Amino acid sequence: MKIYNRYIIITALLLLLTTVILVALGQTSLNVYYITYLAEALAITELFAHLNKRARQGLNLVSAVLLGGFLFIVSIEAIKILA
Amino acid sequence: MIKKNPYTWAGLGLLLTGSLVALFAHLVLGLVWLIALGLCMIILAAILLALGRAVPKLPPEVCGLFLDAGMDNMAAIVEELGIKARAMYLPSSLSNGLPKALIPLHANPALPPLSKALPQRFITRYGSHPDDIGLLFSTIGSRAVALLEAKPDPTPEALEAALTALLAGALDAADGTTVTRLENHLIKVEVTNPRIGSSITRYQECLGGPLASIVASVTAEAWDKPVTIAREEQSEGRYSIELEVTE
Repeated sequence: MKIYNRYIIITALLLLLTTVILVALGQTSLNVYYITYLAEALAITELFAHLNKRARQGLNLVSAVLLGGFLFIVSIEAIKILA
Repeated sequence: MIKKNPYTWAGLGLLLTGSLVALFAHLVLGLVWLIALGLCMIILAAILLALGRAVPKLPPEVCGLFLDAGMDNMAAIVEELGIKARAMYLPSSLSNGLPKALIPLHANPALPPLSKALPQRFITRYGSHPDDIGLLFSTIGSRAVALLEAKPDPTPEALEAALTALLAGALDAADGTTVTRLENHLIKVEVTNPRIGSSITRYQECLGGPLASIVASVTAEAWDKPVTIAREEQSEGRYSIELEVTE
């Protein structure tokens, strides 16, 4: 389980650091936060490609749900522009 | 179904806290950064819940008991029969199914080349000479090979990727591996921060330690040739294994 702990700690640290940096930069759009989190979570999951099959299946599902959220944000923005 | 383990509990806790933080920040405080922090907690909760599903049902201590019991039985057989020869790790194509280890009953410096798969028996004949009889063992490596998604190519790079995926990913038995080709038939594998120890017993002299067994089985499967453990050495945070691929 050591590899799971490392994966979780790296993800948590990176997401928290991103929050601090974006707050310091004065970012006020929630979409920017979400898209940055999504990109980081996907990148870290790719780096831990040698996790076991069951873990990867679960993480692929999480990635799919997060991507669904991203598509939702994009559609809302697109509707706003068109309207 | 949700498995109750520390990952699941931490995931559920973060999910609840994150949702409350995000809702409170959105409805009461109107702070975007706090909503983002709640969102961050929800993402981590989803990852923890996904990992919680992958944690094995059996605790590592119970798995250790199974391993010790199996190794004790194999050690008893090896020691009672007074076997001195080193095991030869065979690929699945030569052992009819899973890769196995062949231990000649008589120390034979020049084993005959194996051209066809050996019969699925514990005591098996591997050559035409009357002394060409050996024991065909299923080892920890035989089972570990089944966890590989695909058979690796016979190159040091592919072997390194497969061993790292197996030892660091699926089995969590080490932090990584490095594979180098010393000579044409000699391959050196270095395992970083191994979490399985090795002791010097007759059984281990014959079959190698658990890590060496896994490495030898995967190598035999990759090269599709019999492999013997030429040398294994454990030092601070490193486990070095030299393998000889039989032509």
